[in-house]
Parts: sequence; C-alpha cells; structure tokens
Amino acid sequence: MTVCQFFLQGRCRFGDRCWNEHPGARGAGGARPPPASQQLSASNRRGWNASSQRYSNVIQPSSFSRSTPWGGSRGPDQASFGSSTGSGFGAAQRPFASLSSGDQDEQKLLEGIVKDVEVWESSGQWMFSAYSPLKTQPPVAGFTDISPEELRLEYHNFLTSNNLQSYLNSVQQLITQWKNRINQLKTINKSNRVALLPNLNNGVNQAAPALGFGSTQARMFGSSFVGSSKSVQNFSFKTSPGFAPATSGSPSVFGTLPALGAVPSAGSAVSASTPAFGFGKPQITSAASFSFKTPAASGFGSAGFSAAPTSLAGSPFGAAMAPAFGGGTSVAGFGSPGSQSHTAFSKPSNNIFGSSSIPTSLPVSNVISATDKVLFTPKDQLTQEELEQFQSKKFTLGKIPLKPPPVELIHI
Amino acid sequence: MSLFGTTSKFGSNGSSVGTFGSAAADHHNPMKDIEVTSSPDDSIGCLSFSPASLPGNFLVAGSWANDVRCWEVQDNGQTVPKAQHIHAGPVLGVCWSDDGSKVFTASCDKTAKMWDLNSNLAIQIAQHDAPIKTVHWIKASNYRCVMTGSWDRTLKFWDTRSSNPVMALQLPERCYCADVVYPMAVVATARRGLIVYQLENQPSEVRRVESSLKFQNRCVAIFKDKHHKPNGFALGSIEGKIAFHYLNVPNSVKDSFTFKCHRSNRANSSGSQDIYAVNGMAFHPIHGTLATVGSDGRFNFWDKDGRAKLKTSEPLDQPISACCFNHNGNIFAYASSYDWSKGHEFYNPKRKNYIFLRNAAEELKPRNGK
Repeated sequence: MTVCQFFLQGRCRFGDRCWNEHPGARGAGGARPPPASQQLSASNRRGWNASSQRYSNVIQPSSFSRSTPWGGSRGPDQASFGSSTGSGFGAAQRPFASLSSGDQDEQKLLEGIVKDVEVWESSGQWMFSAYSPLKTQPPVAGFTDISPEELRLEYHNFLTSNNLQSYLNSVQQLITQWKNRINQLKTINKSNRVALLPNLNNGVNQAAPALGFGSTQARMFGSSFVGSSKSVQNFSFKTSPGFAPATSGSPSVFGTLPALGAVPSAGSAVSASTPAFGFGKPQITSAASFSFKTPAASGFGSAGFSAAPTSLAGSPFGAAMAPAFGGGTSVAGFGSPGSQSHTAFSKPSNNIFGSSSIPTSLPVSNVISATDKVLFTPKDQLTQEELEQFQSKKFTLGKIPLKPPPVELIHI
Repeated sequence: MSLFGTTSKFGSNGSSVGTFGSAAADHHNPMKDIEVTSSPDDSIGCLSFSPASLPGNFLVAGSWANDVRCWEVQDNGQTVPKAQHIHAGPVLGVCWSDDGSKVFTASCDKTAKMWDLNSNLAIQIAQHDAPIKTVHWIKASNYRCVMTGSWDRTLKFWDTRSSNPVMALQLPERCYCADVVYPMAVVATARRGLIVYQLENQPSEVRRVESSLKFQNRCVAIFKDKHHKPNGFALGSIEGKIAFHYLNVPNSVKDSFTFKCHRSNRANSSGSQDIYAVNGMAFHPIHGTLATVGSDGRFNFWDKDGRAKLKTSEPLDQPISACCFNHNGNIFAYASSYDWSKGHEFYNPKRKNYIFLRNAAEELKPRNGK
C-alpha cells in the first residue's frame, strides 16, 4: 500500500477508513478526524479566482459556513465541522483534536474568539459591532451594534446643537468600553470562561438591548429628557420590567457590569475581570489608521474603573459616566427614577449627550441582566426561605434552593 | 453614438463628459468613469435608477446634505440635473415606484416622502419613531405599498393615501438594510438579525435566518434564479465578508457560502490585513452577477455561480458608499463619499463627493464554466 501523504502531515481526513497506509499510528493518529485544510485545498480548485493580483487571490470558503459535501457522509465529521467553526476566520488549517470531548470544542471556541478579537482589533474594522463566535450563537455580551450612520447622525445632531464635546466624550467612552471588552476576551482564562460560556451556550437571545445612542437622538436632541419614562422604554430595555424595580437598592450592581464588559458581576468572574480589565492601558490602537484613539479616554475611563471591583456599587461606572451624564435623564435610563444615590448621576450638565451615553451602557447592562438571570436570581424572585438559606452559613438539607443565589449575596 | 446602449467602450476618451481631474495625480477617479455633474454636497447614502417603465435613465441620490437629487443620464454619458427636494434630515433610502412616476425617499427626520417628479411635489407618506433607513416599493398582484424599515425596530407598510400604516411588523432590532424582489423581502437588523418575508397576499414573516457572518450586517441584496424568481440573498457585513444564503432550494445549507472581500494585505506584516466594510451591493439585472462596493474605495464584480471574482477596481481615495445598476444593467453607478467608517476625525465636509457611472454591459458577464 502506498503511504498516505496526508497522514504523514497529520492531516488525513479518512482516518481509519483511509485506503492508504498510515505507518505505525493506530493510537496516535488514527482517531484524528479530518482537518479542514484538506477540504480547503479541494475547494480551492473551484474557489474564487481573482483576476487581479491585488487581493489574496483565493477566497477560501469560510469553513464555518459550509456543512460541506465532504463531510456529509461521515457522522463524526459533522461534529468536527462544528468545532472547526470555533477556530474561525476561514483559516482552519489546524488538525482537530478528537471530537468526542466537549471540552475540546470549547477550547476551540475560545481560541477562535481570541483570534477573531485580535484580528478585529488590528485590522481597522468597524468597532461598534455585535460579534458572535459561531454563527449559531447569540452575540457575545459586551458589544453593542452601532451602525456608522447612527454614529454619524449623532455627530450631526450634536454639531447643530453646538455640543460637539459631549459627542466626542461619548465616543471616547464607547471606544474605551470596546477596548476593555476586547482585552478581556483576549485573555481567556478559567474565570473568563466561566463567564463567557453560559453566555455563549445559553442561547438567550439578548436581542432586546444594544441600542446605541443613535435611537435616542430623537428624544435626546434638544429636549430635556428627564422623567419621560416612555422614552426610556423605547430604549428597548425589554427585560427591564423585572430588572429595574428589583434593583432599586443597588441598581449599580447591574449598572456597573456593562463597563466591566458584561462579565457577571459576582463570583470569581469579578476577580478575574479586574486584572483583565486593563483600564488605563491606553491600548494599542494598532488599528493603524483608525483614529478612535483613547489617550483622553483612558484617563477618563480609568478614573472610573479604579474603584474596588468587588464592591459592586456602581461608583466606578457611575464616576466614569459622570461628566457625560445628564441629571435625571440617566437615572431614568437605569429604570429607577429618583432612587439613584449616585452623585455622579445628578450632574445636570450636558443633558443630551450625557443621557445618550446611557444607552450604550444600558444595552450591555441589559445583556448582563439576561446573563444574570441565568447565573443569579434577582433578590425579589426568591422566597423568604430561599433567601434565608443563602444568607445562612450552611444549607439545610431539604431546604436547598434550586435557583442560583442573587448577586448581592455573593462575597468574594 | 449611443454609448450606454451599446457595448462599445467609453470612458477612456471621456474627456468630453466631465472627467476632469483624471490628468491630475489624485485618485478620486482612478477608473476614469463618468462623473455626474452637480453631485451632492455631502456623503451620498443611497442611489437608485429609474425602472424600465420610464424611457431613458434617471438617477436619484439621497445625501447627508438632506437633499435628494435627480439627474437624467443620457446615452452619450451626459448627466443633466433635473430636480431635487429637501428633507429635514439626511436621506438614507430612495426607491422608485414601478411606473417610474414617483420617487420615495426615507430620511433621518423619521419621515418618508413621495416625490412626484412630474409636478415636483413631495408629500409625506410615512412616519416612524426613529430615522427610517430603508424604503422599498412593493407591487403585488392585489396591493401596492411602500415598505419602510426604521431604527425604531418596526417595518411598516404604507398605502400612500393614508397616514396610518396598513401594516406594521415588529423587528427584533433596528433595521439596517433591506431588499425587496417580489414576492420575497429580506430585512437585516442589528445584532445580526436576518428575517425573510413573503409578500403575496399580505406581507408576513417567513423565517429568521441565522446570519453566516460574525459581525454587524451592513447591506443585503436578493438574487434571482434563472427563471427570475428570487431564491436567495447576499449579505454583506462590516467585516469585509459576504455571505450567500440560498432559500427554497433543496441543498440550501450546502450551497450557502461566505467569502472575504474588500480587504487588503498589509505590506509589512504578512497575515495581517486591513478589513473594510461592504457598504453596498447590487445584482446585475440581466447577468445576475454581483457588484459590491466597500469602505476601501473599491468596487468588485463577482460571479456567484462560477465563484469567481470578475473584476476589482483601483482604489478611490474615498470610500464608496453606495451603488446601483440601471434597469437594463448597462450602467453601474457608484458614489464616492465618506461613510464614517473611521469616525469623525476623518470627516472633511469640504471634500467633494462624486457619483460615477460606468458601462457595465461587458464587465459583468459571468464566467463560463468553472
């Protein structure tokens, strides 16, 4: 029998079924499912042919969009295509580990995220976009979708109201938030994982939020936004009903999270997120020509984020928002009009854009609430008994709550 | 000589029709295409050519200067400004009615207007709670209406005679782009939402499609099969990628694919790229091939069935923000203006915005065979 060339490179797609010889590698290599590279080379024959040399000529069909004919006939390979999507970006040149373990898939997924994020950052791509590591997954929390038109409209509105500075401030804020979230995603480690994975796997469609400040411009512009709860509702704070009233005591709990990049606030996640937080690292901006730089912003943001992370009190986030915030507007934005004790929120200046920056955090906080519903329960949804159980030192058998504990009770 | 009607080349000797600047070193028109006269003063958000029912070719463009302009494009390449009307906010969407007598324009002032070209009167026909991003005319067998998609997360259908919508559908998120080819309509929203509607009888949602792309949706265009029935759509994202989704086709999952475009490899570090958004796309009405324009200032022509790139243009010095074909596919119009892809720092209000016209009859013929 001829020796299988692909197997020698570690890339044989047929594995056991291969008609060629796989020298000496029953255990080591035989179980390995086919990598995507083989199918890519096959596909390149009928791939996109560029008439000009200007671009990378062959457009490789992005592996994750094709559940391809090559994979069609074999069961195990289906899963491998699934996991290949995690390594994303169409350059799935690496051999797969055995597909049986779900962990491997996760690992691939996370690696894929890291890769995607690095490319996102360095390529000058539009920042304010939702991002999903796999097409079947809901978008990762912490990124808001703002289209260039929405951003530009904000610019024009503020220009005409002579309020350009607040636009600039808010943009800087958005950029800082984005950068922080990107940095978090880049340093995937155990705790981040814990935070990310439920997010990724639970399929909760955090569709409600993600309202950039674009949509608010109608209300924002020229009007004092205070107190019109109607307009707040239009912030698509869809999950808010349970959310807003429940947190009247410490709305900041959920409010801070957006800044922290949608990492669930309590538990190990926070301790992980703080180091990853990297505020004040005036980041890279290797995004070459993209001048959404943050020299000012990092100072700005860091002032906000320097507060003790475990205190889930909103001050870090609140402080960050302070200059940009309007008064009651922001409060209304967080769904608890009047109950805000944050001094930050009571600054009356710059109503318009200040309040508009809320939505940028709102969507994310909304997202958090979605995640948090999965990981934690808001206090008001627990019965008295459950609350007692959580508060006591030990659980009593027979009374162990089935719901996860509320965020407030988690101490690190 | 009728340049637009025949397959003869033009543009190389286009000096008589206003391609000034080609002698200079600037790259505002590297492809030496015909420049439209009196182009808008600010970025062009949308372009649309008149339908076949109108003799001749008329182009309308909506811009961020709050105006909509209409030109007659003559066969010799000359463009004659005909009319314009003003909105209270930037115009994000334009489309023609099927008989070519009216133009519908959608604006950030949250209204859509119907502009009667004969009388040059524009009346408001739609109202939303947020800027309207897309406007399309639907002509069904038993009804006619205007479909508007807005950032207020609704899709509304308007009979132009009434101030209330005949139908309003809820979207999961803000509408970013849409396309209508009767009886199919596709709407792409924020957070990678993608919804397909069928328009027979009355518009109704058919299904939500999982976007094959990982990032924000930017533009969408429906393509037709060889019987001129819509059977899928192409979706472009900010990430320099386009996904083709086939619908109503037995192997739809297998046939759907994505590819990268509008990216440039950096000279210094191999492997890293500049990634640009795909700002607009349009299918050639006859050949079914695809034209895409991006923030990198280039346009590309693609053959989706042969999976080949037909042409890449030279980069313009500004992003290309919109594109469209005329009704018979002879003219490809593209707009060179800033699309905000790099934020406000790169915005120069004094910069001239251009609309270029190119003879598209030859270049978009599909490759034969694979």
